[in-house]
Amino acid sequence: MRESLPRSVLRVAALVRHDLRLHRADLTPLVTMTVMPLLIMAFVRPLYLSSLSTRYGTPPDGVPFTGAELAVPGVAVIFSFFLAADVGYGVFREHGWRTWDRLRTGPARPFEVLAGRAVVPLLVLLVQLTLLFTVGGLLFGLRVRGSYAAIAAVGVCLALCLVAFGFVLVALCRTVMQLNVFSNVAALLFAGLGGTLAPVEQLPGWVQALAHVTPTYWAMRGFTGAVLDGDGLGGAVLPCLVLLAIAAVLTVAGLNRFRFDDRKVSWS
Amino acid sequence: MTESVHDTPSAIAGSQSCVGRGGGVALDLVGVTKSYGDVHALRGVDLRIPPGRITALLGENGAGKTTLMSLVAGLQRPDAGRIAVTGHDVADAPGAARRALGFAPQELGVYPTLTVRQNLMFCAELAGLRRGAARDRTAETAEPLALTELLDRRAGELSGGQQRRLHVAMALVHRPAVLLLDEATAGVDVRTRTALLDLVRGLAADGVAVCYSTHYLAEVESLDAHVAVLDGGRVIAHDTLSALVDRHARGALELTFHGPVPEDLDLPWPTRPTEDGLRVLADRPHEAAARLLELLGPTSALSGLRVVRPDLEAVFLELTGRRYRDEGSPADA
Ligand SMILES: Nc1ncnc2c1ncn2[C@@H]1O[C@H](COP(=O)(O)OP(=O)(O)OP(=O)(O)O)[C@@H](O)[C@H]1O
Ligand SMILES: [Mg+2]
Repeated sequence: MRESLPRSVLRVAALVRHDLRLHRADLTPLVTMTVMPLLIMAFVRPLYLSSLSTRYGTPPDGVPFTGAELAVPGVAVIFSFFLAADVGYGVFREHGWRTWDRLRTGPARPFEVLAGRAVVPLLVLLVQLTLLFTVGGLLFGLRVRGSYAAIAAVGVCLALCLVAFGFVLVALCRTVMQLNVFSNVAALLFAGLGGTLAPVEQLPGWVQALAHVTPTYWAMRGFTGAVLDGDGLGGAVLPCLVLLAIAAVLTVAGLNRFRFDDRKVSWS
Repeated sequence: MTESVHDTPSAIAGSQSCVGRGGGVALDLVGVTKSYGDVHALRGVDLRIPPGRITALLGENGAGKTTLMSLVAGLQRPDAGRIAVTGHDVADAPGAARRALGFAPQELGVYPTLTVRQNLMFCAELAGLRRGAARDRTAETAEPLALTELLDRRAGELSGGQQRRLHVAMALVHRPAVLLLDEATAGVDVRTRTALLDLVRGLAADGVAVCYSTHYLAEVESLDAHVAVLDGGRVIAHDTLSALVDRHARGALELTFHGPVPEDLDLPWPTRPTEDGLRVLADRPHEAAARLLELLGPTSALSGLRVVRPDLEAVFLELTGRRYRDEGSPADA
């Protein structure tokens, strides 16, 4: 007896609402990961400004750079990575509360449990990116020379990548400390590789080669294309496709490795 | 409860699921075996529970009760044997089997940051109830477990016994056909225990098949349940409580003395030495007690006399040779 789709959708919806309630009980991570980067944008904007002047000379349209052209997307990309582990913490939390086994023995199918667990972390990332671009943009004078839609499209694809990356992390990690360490190290590593800290062209050759397979690089390329180079939606197609491809590979890898009966503990 | 239906092994053969396939069997285990390395947790367990029956799983720590339930719930796979829930094979049709099942594990599992209501609503909605229906069901489930007053409290702020009630309620809210309760009354007060037992009886009367593990023999007696005694991973007895008592339990008197047991005792009943005295086997222990006191006279060295009614404890003793201690601390073999 195959089950009808609507029932499956109802269960996923129930899981999503549930996850929303759980997130609402602790908004500190989202708030911190939004406020902190706004502060950091203020520190680093002068650095990015000098880097912009050396790279571009004078702006093509004559309007002076503010530094926000790199500071806003760069810092947003770095800090979005810090929320990638959110989906993983959700799974560890359920293990800690011993509700994971309840979910496993409940009416939802494994696939539905995972789908239901992915939606809110995705929304959290979208909220964070939106706030960073709008508030950061207003505070630091971000002038978008190209298409806002392109920025939104790249942001959605980046968020998908990060949730998938979170799944890979939780599939691999046995303890919450491992998840914590791996996600933070990954955030810094990808930040460097993707050109959010220093322009990719200034990195050593072999690092530049690596950079081309990181989601951060493609996100930065998509964002700066729209912000600096005046790209329209068309310019975002390639970065978006690459980001989606990375998300797909990560999803397959995560699903392949994820075991519902793996023991997940807070401490070893 | 038509026993004849249960004798057909086809009851679990139906891996193609469809409700009612199980005929008269709600929960059916055949030859279920599970080992963890060298530990044989279950060795060829057969167990059938028809709708409306409460079966108490009895056994000392490590007897295999939790293992049995987690296999039924699909948390682990058996090494051998078949398990079917309302006719749905747990291995072949796990989704259908899970949907017919309610499981309150031995260890508490509630969402501490959510309110009691949110915990219950989540379980109800996950089972496919729409919001309004889920709200009604939440209220209905909370009532008999005395959770109504607590609905808007956070689960993490409840006492242990209150959390235990919520934990059980979460297994019930979708009205499963088969209910697994693993030590549902561990650590609760008398009132909660009575409420839980009443609830279980009520559910059984409504046709729910209940598998109930406990260390409290008195609970089993008050539920008038069927009893499956697990010992070392085997079901060593399975019958109604009264049948087990009739078959296995003899009444007895347990005597202790100041000093060693007098050698010149000549009693008209069979006796067995115990650790600290003498066990007198007598079918009507109360009558025997009166006669024994008469026979010994007022000057005997008797220091203690305990009447052992023919009850579940006596059954356990007879079957395993060990005394069953409440609170799950088994006597040493
Ligand atoms: N995950 C596991 N790994 C290894 N051995 C296990 C595991 N789970 C249970 N066992 C062993 O299997 C046996 C049965 O355990 P189980 O938990 O089923 O007993 P139980 O009857 O529920 O006991 P209790 O009354 O203490 O809850 C025990 O010897 C136990 O040590
Ligand atoms: Mg147990």
